[in-house]
Amino acid sequence: MNSDLNKAIDKVLDHNRSDEGDVRSATAPHQRDFPYDREEEAQVTRREFCNFLGLTSAALFVGSAGFAGKAAFDSSRTPQFPSSKVEGAETLAPGSSLNFHYPSTKDSAILVRTLDGELHAFGQKCTHLSCPVYFERAHQRFECPCHDGAFDAKTGNVLYGPPPRPLDPIRLEVRANGEVWAIGREAGSSEG
Amino acid sequence: MQSNQIKPRPIRNLAGKGRTAVAQARLILLVMVNVAQLWILAATVEAALAHRFSALLPLVVASGICFVVTLTLIFWWRPPSRRFTSSGYLKQ
Repeated sequence: MNSDLNKAIDKVLDHNRSDEGDVRSATAPHQRDFPYDREEEAQVTRREFCNFLGLTSAALFVGSAGFAGKAAFDSSRTPQFPSSKVEGAETLAPGSSLNFHYPSTKDSAILVRTLDGELHAFGQKCTHLSCPVYFERAHQRFECPCHDGAFDAKTGNVLYGPPPRPLDPIRLEVRANGEVWAIGREAGSSEG
Repeated sequence: MQSNQIKPRPIRNLAGKGRTAVAQARLILLVMVNVAQLWILAATVEAALAHRFSALLPLVVASGICFVVTLTLIFWWRPPSRRFTSSGYLKQ
């Protein structure tokens, strides 16, 4: 019985086997007086796991409430959009696209000149999970590489895939000398 | 003269087994509620990005209810103090 206990203590105190060698050697006298199984001690108890799940639940609730609150707050604001010139839009060839930023440098947008010469601009964020969409020249539509969504290049409407609403359209104005200006941005709505 | 014989280990209360089952069930319920809350969070994110604002409040309320259920499961049912410790010794 005692030899088994000594073997167990030796195993625990073996520096080569344990990464806590210093702790073991420091507590060796105590270990000899009050031997206990360190491996079992390292296990998570049921109560600890319950508490962890409780904390996770609280975090998920706060996350949901925070995200919903932020979305509701953002929608209630009516931001002012400044006019901004889209550089290089005058020379954009039909059937091609151009990236720019509007209204701020953090908001990427995409301008496209369709084959019939019309200009259309949209926010570049996919309405599904905010991946950046790109203009697919071969099919003349916007595509989202993340989850295979596609949008119409003229209207921004969803053609297929998981996006729940159209892309956010950006209002354009063609001024003197063919300069293209972005003058406003809306939220793409599936209603109407 | 004192005897050096080791006292036989006491037989643990049979109710302990049932208690373990209930504790296990509570743990499983907690995990299920957490999974449901994770789904609710995903639905909230999707509803917010889709601008379906009318769905946000019910989703947050549902998440809140799940949180209350979790708290209830953790605090309402507590195993009573056991007579024997895990090593089998009688508590003082």
